[in-house]
Amino acid sequence: MDVVFIIVSIFLLLNIALGLFRIWRGPTVADRLLTTQLFGTTGMAVLLVLAGYLQELTLLNVAITFNVLAILLVIGLFQVWKTRKERSDDNI
Amino acid sequence: MSILIDGLLAILAIYLALQSLLAPRLSQSVFLFFAFGLALALAWVRLGAVDVAITEAAIAAGFLGVLFLDALRDFSSTISEKHNNTEAIQSSASRKKIKTFLLPRLAFGVGLGLFLLISLEAIWQIPQGGGLTAAAESMLPESGVEHPVTAVLLNFRAYDTWLEIGVILLGLLAIFVTGGIKIYTKPDVVAKDPLLRQVILFFTPVLFLFGAFLLYIGKSGPGGAFQAAVLWGAIGILLHLGGKPVFAMIPRWVGQLVLIMGLGFFLLMGFVFMSGGATLFEYPKAYAGTLILIVETLAAISIAAALTAIYANLNQMKEEPKENESAN
Repeated sequence: MDVVFIIVSIFLLLNIALGLFRIWRGPTVADRLLTTQLFGTTGMAVLLVLAGYLQELTLLNVAITFNVLAILLVIGLFQVWKTRKERSDDNI
Repeated sequence: MSILIDGLLAILAIYLALQSLLAPRLSQSVFLFFAFGLALALAWVRLGAVDVAITEAAIAAGFLGVLFLDALRDFSSTISEKHNNTEAIQSSASRKKIKTFLLPRLAFGVGLGLFLLISLEAIWQIPQGGGLTAAAESMLPESGVEHPVTAVLLNFRAYDTWLEIGVILLGLLAIFVTGGIKIYTKPDVVAKDPLLRQVILFFTPVLFLFGAFLLYIGKSGPGGAFQAAVLWGAIGILLHLGGKPVFAMIPRWVGQLVLIMGLGFFLLMGFVFMSGGATLFEYPKAYAGTLILIVETLAAISIAAALTAIYANLNQMKEEPKENESAN
């Protein structure tokens, strides 16, 4: 059973590593932001798997913390950038 | 087998840390830093420090992310206004830098090497048997809480925690000083978007409840004032982003009172018990648990208010010149 947990968490971690490609390519800030949402979700999955593997239920609190706060970034981007939408954000 | 996970996490964390420093574009750096926070939180989990993992998750995912996005917007507007071809300018500037700043880089490298040597020696000297763990755990029944981390933070080393609350307040003071006092003006942006409104309406109670849960669970497990404070601070930031700036809606003295409440109550309590013959921040054993919970709650509210105020004031500072232009 432990082997399954480990293989799944390694697979999920490799997913995060692949997601880095999108951060590099961009091209806009919104694309990169979506990657961080992927990271948040995948990170939660890793934490849940680790919680099963380590038999440590407090890890669920870490997962919830990550995911209730992930919304903050999206709204932050939406509200902060919409005023300057006309300007190109590609160069940054 | 689990060494595979640890190895992958370690490589990922170090790679992300390096890349977030070296990435050519600012937005890459910002989002790589966010990913670094995630890798770090997972690493803390693997090291068994769930308290630190929650704090890292809360601060990296929530607060720093929003602050960095804000900073990114500033940089993007100043750079795109001034130069059309940012890439070329950046690359030529970095080429110049390599020539002129060789000496500082050398000094930085030597310093880094020395730091690594010192930390290696520190690792070498970790006492066998876990250092102070046994001493802390033997006093745990007298601390009033069941979780050793909370006992250390709020009872055995309460002075450090008190100073930490002060550090956050100091950061806010610095922003007050540089940004001026006329910060509590109400921005015109009001959430007209129904989706945004619903999201804020949904997430405010969720964030509040989960923060309160983390605060209370700190007594017996990982959690506590700082983690709860970030979640509660997120409410303030959400409301601010939705066009309801909390600090503009309450009287100024109430805001100030809320900001210093945690620090003030902690200190007052310390002095009150000190006058009864105890040392500073020593609790009477019978009420220790209750007092710690009160201190934590007040501290969490204060820190949450401070985080909200930091975000709100940074936003206001940038709006100011624009308002002046339109007035002229």
